[in-house]
Amino acid sequence: MRRIWVALFAILVAGCAAMAKVESGQQVVSDRLVVDLDGPWNRFTRGVEVPTWTVEGFTVDRLQFFVGIQDGQPIAQRAKGAKEQRPLTFHTSMKAHEIVALFEGLYTQDGSTFTLDRVEPVTFVGEAGFKYSYTLIRRGDDVKLSGVGYGAVHGGELFVINYSAPRLGFFPRYQQQIEKMALGAHLNA
Amino acid sequence: MNRRVALRWACAHCALLASLPGRSLAEVGENWAAPPRFAPPDPASDEGGLWSMLEHEEKRLRRSLLLLRDPGLHDYLQNVACKLGGEHCPDIRIYPIRTPWFNASMAPNGSMQVWSGLLLRVDNEAQLAAVLGHEMGHYMQRHTLARLKDVRSRSAFATLLMPLGLGGALVSWAVMASQFSFSRDQEREADQIGLILMKRAGYDPREAPQVWSNLLEEASVHPGANLSKISPMFATHPASAERRETLTRLAGTGGGEAFQAEYLTHVGPLQRDLLEDEIKRGEFDESIVLLNRLTKRSPERPDLLYYRAEARRLRGQKDDVELALADLNAASAMPEAPAEAQRSIGFIQQARGDKAAAREAFTKYLQARPDAGDATMIQSYLQELGS
Repeated sequence: MRRIWVALFAILVAGCAAMAKVESGQQVVSDRLVVDLDGPWNRFTRGVEVPTWTVEGFTVDRLQFFVGIQDGQPIAQRAKGAKEQRPLTFHTSMKAHEIVALFEGLYTQDGSTFTLDRVEPVTFVGEAGFKYSYTLIRRGDDVKLSGVGYGAVHGGELFVINYSAPRLGFFPRYQQQIEKMALGAHLNA
Repeated sequence: MNRRVALRWACAHCALLASLPGRSLAEVGENWAAPPRFAPPDPASDEGGLWSMLEHEEKRLRRSLLLLRDPGLHDYLQNVACKLGGEHCPDIRIYPIRTPWFNASMAPNGSMQVWSGLLLRVDNEAQLAAVLGHEMGHYMQRHTLARLKDVRSRSAFATLLMPLGLGGALVSWAVMASQFSFSRDQEREADQIGLILMKRAGYDPREAPQVWSNLLEEASVHPGANLSKISPMFATHPASAERRETLTRLAGTGGGEAFQAEYLTHVGPLQRDLLEDEIKRGEFDESIVLLNRLTKRSPERPDLLYYRAEARRLRGQKDDVELALADLNAASAMPEAPAEAQRSIGFIQQARGDKAAAREAFTKYLQARPDAGDATMIQSYLQELGS
């Protein structure tokens, strides 16, 4: 009986955390966003709404791709039961600070504490875009994370790459790789 | 014994916890006497198992990044608690936690969390004392321990610890409300003891019902809503207008003092950070009610006008932008106006297409905050706006 339970548990865990390897080199995310990778990543194949990759594990570091969000669409669904009023809906007319505020709203739905450290203009996917850096104290486990995002509006659609990892050790380890990948990202013709 | 084993062990002995000392409702009255200090339980006893878990949570609390590490604030809160707690003072340990919701909770081992949303919302030391005194009422009557005897499952037992520890407290209000809210009798008893402790410490007991008035006013923006899902305080402390009326009646004609100046001296310096967190909470309707009250109390403070404007600007309903602009202009005309008020004016005028006004506001912001984290972004906005 015990073996059956163990097997069922293993199947359940496998179902929740299904992952596939992402090889180094050029990769296309959501058929639109082309990135060049220095090393391999792991891609979640189910259980995530937004394309999400990790090197160290879901609870450690996360690279998320928001690809082709259209005018009037939310960047992601609000967590079940959330009642706060900060909108997650993207509009083409939004300026960088308003788009960054959407991501702040997204990452604080669980009560985590978000501090925006910098917002600056950068070129991303060939457009005049923005880069934002932040610190997040994750509510669930009280871990301090660093995060960085690169975004731009292209043809009325929003494209953002966001990476976060524990401030000590993990974030500095991948920071340069993320920067290089983000600044080299482009869209399929 | 690790925590999981301790939980299992403690739950297996829940029934025995029913025999833990408690005090009857009949004992509470004007002549009510606080119980003597509680002796630490024998580590091998049932209660000792619970203590070890609570101490584990308290260690986490001490290390938490959300702990407000301001010695002045800590000493002030501890002093207020000691004024109320009397003989129990050495057993009470206060932990101010950076979380922008109204809440306080006290564990049976004497550790008490005070959330920063509470510090933002009480008007004076007497209102703070009302909340701390109420929690001490639960502590002195050992209500939390008494609730354990009703707990049947390990998961439920772990849930009970949530409001006393740190993790999960935000996401489990509904569970807490359904399983672990204090009973009406326990609430009434804690209210009565809180008022007695307030009076004996020289506080005006009429400030106690005012705390609930303020909370209910904020909650009124959610007509018909289940209050336990709105606030962690309401989740474990069912609130009603009837309760407020009872407190008003028990407070009588008052006496004692509110000690507002003392409160603002110690908590005032933190208010900017607390307001920043309040806006980030994203509950703009509630924040506007709160800020209406705060600006009415201190109309001379430009920071309060700025944050009310931010709540309105970000909510963006009906006349919100016009009202926000009025607050921002008023704040900017005051001494020590936050530079960010100019940035917000710039955002509003930029969205409206008033390039000259946006340019002027952004320029003023950059003059005041040349090293701001968003300075280069604002400069890029200025370039877009042209000359």
